[in-house]
Amino acid sequence: MKILVCIKQVPDMESKFKVDAAGTWYDNADLAWRMNEYDEYAVEQAVQLKEQAGEGDITVLSIGPDKVKEAMKKALAMGCDRGVHVSDDAVSSKEPYQIASIIAAFAGDKGFDVIFTGLQSQDRGSGQVGVLVGELLGLPSVTTVVDFNMEGDSVTAKRELEGGIRAVVKVATPALFTCQLGLNTPRYPTLPNIMKAKKKELLTIPVADLLDVDPRQQTAALFFPEKKGGGLVLEGEVGDLADQLVQILKEKTTVLS
Amino acid sequence: MKFELSEEQSLIRDTVREFAESEIGPSAAQRDEEERFDRALMFDSLAELGLTGIVFPEEYGGAGADYLSYAIAVEELSRVCASTGVTLSAHLSLCANPIYLFGSESQKQQYLTALAAGEKMGAFGLTEPSAGSDAGSTKTTAVKNGDGWLLNGSKIFITNGGEAETYVVLARTDKDAKKHHGISAFIIDKGTEGFTFGKKEQKLGIRSSPTMEIIFENCLIPAENLLGEEGEGFKVAMKTLDGGRIGIASQAVGIAQGALEQAINYAKERKQFDKPIAAFQGISFQLADMATQIEASRLMVYNAAYRASAGLSYSQASAMAKLMASETAMKVTTQAVQILGGYGYSREYPVERMMRDAKITEIYEGTSEIQRLVIGAALTR
Repeated sequence: MKILVCIKQVPDMESKFKVDAAGTWYDNADLAWRMNEYDEYAVEQAVQLKEQAGEGDITVLSIGPDKVKEAMKKALAMGCDRGVHVSDDAVSSKEPYQIASIIAAFAGDKGFDVIFTGLQSQDRGSGQVGVLVGELLGLPSVTTVVDFNMEGDSVTAKRELEGGIRAVVKVATPALFTCQLGLNTPRYPTLPNIMKAKKKELLTIPVADLLDVDPRQQTAALFFPEKKGGGLVLEGEVGDLADQLVQILKEKTTVLS
Repeated sequence: MKFELSEEQSLIRDTVREFAESEIGPSAAQRDEEERFDRALMFDSLAELGLTGIVFPEEYGGAGADYLSYAIAVEELSRVCASTGVTLSAHLSLCANPIYLFGSESQKQQYLTALAAGEKMGAFGLTEPSAGSDAGSTKTTAVKNGDGWLLNGSKIFITNGGEAETYVVLARTDKDAKKHHGISAFIIDKGTEGFTFGKKEQKLGIRSSPTMEIIFENCLIPAENLLGEEGEGFKVAMKTLDGGRIGIASQAVGIAQGALEQAINYAKERKQFDKPIAAFQGISFQLADMATQIEASRLMVYNAAYRASAGLSYSQASAMAKLMASETAMKVTTQAVQILGGYGYSREYPVERMMRDAKITEIYEGTSEIQRLVIGAALTR
């Protein structure tokens, strides 16, 4: 079984973000980087699938500057077998269709049985790349997966819907799955596996070899919304205050329902 | 010369940090309060990550990483829980390492592989009631008895004592030899007849790490449990402590780093006189000094660890690193308590625990005075 996992390196979301000079993306300086959270679920699911099947070969793919190899090393230490680094210093200026085209151009003739991606990236958050890769390869995509079970060449996946509803989807492989929080708990790479990861194959392909589509959209501006005015001050007796607060929590939040 | 971690070292730092923050940190305050060692959490889970044998070759069940990776791991654990940091340091530096350095092949197969895999936990017995800094005056005896050695005496302040399965213990094998020469090292299994445990220490800090007296009363061990040459035990002990100091220095850096982060966060949020206290130079200068001293200590630890891995001499470097880092930890944690004020003094915040934990780093594995003695002696030799 051949498995592909697509991952992205993103800034730690606790970082202090600044808009860059061009005003269309965030400033990369002084940020700490890590693997996109949803992609960690994707890697973990790929490794679990291989462990359950008792066989398989997992390729982890990432697009970006040399630095993204850090995230790839983690994926390799978690159990992926080989890495494909699509070298691109200008990855942040590419829109989702271009990213998906790059991945599809690589995966097209490789015969992957299962492709895992994150549901979305924590920085761009378009949620498009996985599904577009599926379309470009002519594969069925199952999104927002929170449970994954494969028997033979048939996958039963649970999808998370709004309002606490879940859907069960059956699909035949080859197929693509976008992974959501709750699918699994990503393992910590062990120290021996971190050391072994450096011996695994990590192939670098220049992005120009794989990209041959023009952008279909462009980010015109990136900005911080203006801060909203002060909070709401409730007044009255304690009992009334509590009632008002409960009402607000019910109406405006999901804390109470 | 390169002041940058390798990809593996960076990944090890990220992994251990994430592990420490998610798994070890949340219970640190409560374990301290209850003086409770949680073996599943503080040792078994480290074994699962491959930390218990991090520096040893794969053939002995280790991860084959370098001393710098080890230093990073101890720092990251200690940043959230100094007790967990010292559990690993005592196990690896003080027990597994002398067996790796001085053990016979069969001792390595029997003991090191189990220690590296974390199937067994290690401890080290050197200190006695009347032999602390003066380790040469060891009174525990080991007398040849048929095909083995008969041990009598006791060792105190033994980190991991009672919990560990494997002990490296120093005992006098020649009463007539000059102080440092008549001492030998032995490997002793928990459960050996005549090997018992005394009282558990009630301590100021690292309260979640067990510290116990170990007692030998006509404890007979096999001849093959002699570690290194007969009469060379003092050398074994000194070499062991050279490595141990890297562990303790890393622990000190971790404690100090943890306290600094607490102080920074607090100073940015705490408002007095209508502005965050971080905006007052009196506070920000303190934070600057704390961060600078920590960075200096960390680089000294890295240097000592690098030298150990590169096969260069490192007694001087590790003594200096341990002296600098431990005194920095004490200073920085005390300042962190001061910056948090009343909240810092309260057990609701972690900095008082860090201050209590920091103190031991100036004492164990050679007090600051002994470090100065070692460093000074080498300078004026």
